[in-house]
Formats: sequence, C-alpha cells, structure tokens
Amino acid sequence: MMMNEGTPAISIDRLTKRYGQTLAVESLSLSVPQGTIFGLLGTNGAGKTTTFKCMLGLARPSEGSVSFEGRPLTPPLFERLAYVPEKCALYEWMTGAQLLEMQRRSFSRYDDKRANELMDLFALDRKKKLGKFSKGQQTAMALVLAFSIHPEILVLDEPAAGLDPVHQRHVLDLIIGESAGGATVVFSSHQIGQVERAAERVAIMHQGTLRLAGEVEQLKSDLKVVEATFDTDAPSLNGLSAEPSVGQIQRAGRLVRVYVKGNGDEIARKIGDMHPRSVRILDQNLEDIFLTTVGSSGSAMAADVAGASGR
Amino acid sequence: MPSIFTVDPHSGVPIYLQLIEQVKRSVALGVLTPGEQLPTVKQLALDLTINANTVGRVYRELERDGVIETSPGRGSFVRDNGGVGRATRAASDVAAAALDTAVREAKSIGIAADDAIALFRKALARWYPGSHDMENR
Repeated sequence: MMMNEGTPAISIDRLTKRYGQTLAVESLSLSVPQGTIFGLLGTNGAGKTTTFKCMLGLARPSEGSVSFEGRPLTPPLFERLAYVPEKCALYEWMTGAQLLEMQRRSFSRYDDKRANELMDLFALDRKKKLGKFSKGQQTAMALVLAFSIHPEILVLDEPAAGLDPVHQRHVLDLIIGESAGGATVVFSSHQIGQVERAAERVAIMHQGTLRLAGEVEQLKSDLKVVEATFDTDAPSLNGLSAEPSVGQIQRAGRLVRVYVKGNGDEIARKIGDMHPRSVRILDQNLEDIFLTTVGSSGSAMAADVAGASGR
Repeated sequence: MPSIFTVDPHSGVPIYLQLIEQVKRSVALGVLTPGEQLPTVKQLALDLTINANTVGRVYRELERDGVIETSPGRGSFVRDNGGVGRATRAASDVAAAALDTAVREAKSIGIAADDAIALFRKALARWYPGSHDMENR
C-alpha cells in the first residue's frame, strides 16, 4: 500500500485472539486515522487489553492482522511509538532518575527537559525507589517515559487509572497537546467522560466484539431517544419497529421510549399522530450511548451503525 | 487565563455545535470585537480540555459562516466587515429555536394555544419590564 495522507496510523483487520477455549477478541476491525485521538471503551473483559497486546506484538493474533502506517510493526517503529500498559511493570529497585537515564540511553528522541517537566507535573520523587511508588505514581512514571520521547503514536491502556482528578486532567491535557502536534493516540478508559472530552473517534467493545464505532460528535447527533407518554397504557408501536431508523423500543406502562438513528423528528411526528399526552426528543451523551450499546438488550441499531461507520 | 468559552462535553449536544454557538454569541454581544484575535486551535483545545480537531472544525465552520477569518501564520480573527451582523443573526436564530422548543413543549403537555400566549406574555413582562404596551395590545 502506498503511504499517503489517507493511510491510517493503525489498522486492525479481522483480529481474533483465542486463549485455549476462550475467545478474547473476535474478528475486530478498526482503523485509526493519523493525527486523531481514538477512545476504546468496554466493560472489564471486553477484550481491550488483549487488543492492545496484539497491536504491539505482545500477544500473537490467532487470526487477522494489525498494521501501522500500512505496514506490519517493525523495530524501527518502536523509536516513535509509546505504550503504557494497564499494569506497569517498572524495575522496583531503580529510582525515577535512574529510569529516566535508561530511557535517555534507549531512545534517540528522548527529551530530558520535557521528562523533568513531567516529573514535576506529576509530583514524582526522582530519588525514590520505584517499588515504593503507589500504583498511581507508577502509572504516572510510565506516562512520563511515554511522553518524554515525543512519540508519533501513543497507545495508552487505562492511562488515568489510580490518578487523582488533577493528575487525570493532566493526562488528558498531555494527550490533547500531543495530538494537536500531529501524534496519533489510542487510549482506553473506564471514565467515559475522559473519552468524551478528548477522543474524536470511539469504539465500543463488548464480549470480544466491536459493537459500535464512529465519531463521538456524529454519534451524538445521530442517536436520539423519542419519549412519549399516553393517557392509558402505551400503544404497541409495532408499526414503528419496521422503520429502518428505529432501534429498541422500551415500554413501561404509559411511557414509551424509542431509540432512533437520526434526529428523531420523523418518529416523534408519527408518535404524535397516536394521540400521546406528551412527546419529546432526548439527546444521548456518550455514557448513555455506551450503556445502550453494551446493555443486555444489545440493540440492533447499534450494530447497524457500527457496520456503517466501522471502517 | 480562563477561557471566555465553556462547553459541556457530557451533554448529548455535540461539542462543536456548542462552541460555534458560543463564539457567535460572544461576537454578537461584543465580548469579542471585530479584528480581535481568537486563541489558536491548540490553545483553545487545551483551555477547554477538548479534542483539537473538534476546535479546528469549529474555526472552519465559523470561517465559512463569515464570522471569523483565518490567515495562515497569523491566526484567526473576528471579521471586520459583516462578522458581527452574521453572528447577531445567528444568535437570534438560537433564540428562535429555543422559543420553538418551548412552544413544542407546551403543546406536548396539553397547554391550549390561548394559555400558551398568556405564558408568553408573562415571560415578556418579566424580561422586558419597560414595554407595557406589549401587554395591553
């Protein structure tokens, strides 16, 4: 493939990973455009960490492939790529200063001034043994290493886990700043609000498969809920379920909620003709969209949108 | 320095729509004056802790709408000619949309047209205290 503007920074093609009988990731396809921030969401066990490991060659895919800038991952790329794993294994007997020195010797792009600014930002003690660091401080140390080499591609697995709210905000600022400078960032987080702020594209995984992918702003524009109340029990609305824009329909006595793709005007008008007592169109934030997507009812609509915008 | 803009990233309303409306409102109200420079894309993204490409999209759309102009290497500025007029018209569009939502809400909970007009008069009297003739009409 020719390298050009349109070549994604990272491209995952039908990735499957089995551990014995367990299917950790099943036929996952994703593409991360260059210079964007990509958020990966999912409940525990959704397959996010396995996906990261397969991306970075730390686990061998059972099927499918991952490419960076159109090519397989090769050693030269490690100079320009930074990975912060969910569980950071730092040398416990080393001090922060010693670890920075090791980073300086290993990476030609290492920026000592930047590294020291970041040590101060996260209030990390250079003389303390890493084994004495709290979990949050170890994550912060791993972030200092990652951002000290001015990476072009950043892969961050739960980068804000264990950090206090102020340091969590610093992590977001670092991600946003690095991306504004042209870097590509993929990160996972259980804090949907962080993904909502920083990411322009998002993928929601559940039980090893991709359930929804797209631009955050587009998903918010495109996914609405039409809520109506009736004087007596809500009508069945069976006619509506055939509409292509309609996902799940929830009924509770006099109340009915219809999950729609699009702005909801058309469905609101149709329900309006059924003499409801009230009709309104509700926006959905990313948390609402996430919960609907991984919910037990696993809406058909969400799968539909993933199919349309997953590539 | 605190940003003059605020957005609610957790709202179901896309951030870029919120920000476009805020910039237009600021220009219409004179918080931003013609010729005034806007923060760089990166600076505003960091000030608000939001995606920089989202801010970039906001600036492109504001430029297309004739509210700001961007010159490469210099930055983005509120347009000297016509920027305020366009922003003011856009801001009144926002008011019209809000009023439309209010009327739809009133209708959807079964308020009769005459009662809706009475509600509207009451709101007018509250926010336009000097204009008695409006109530007497």
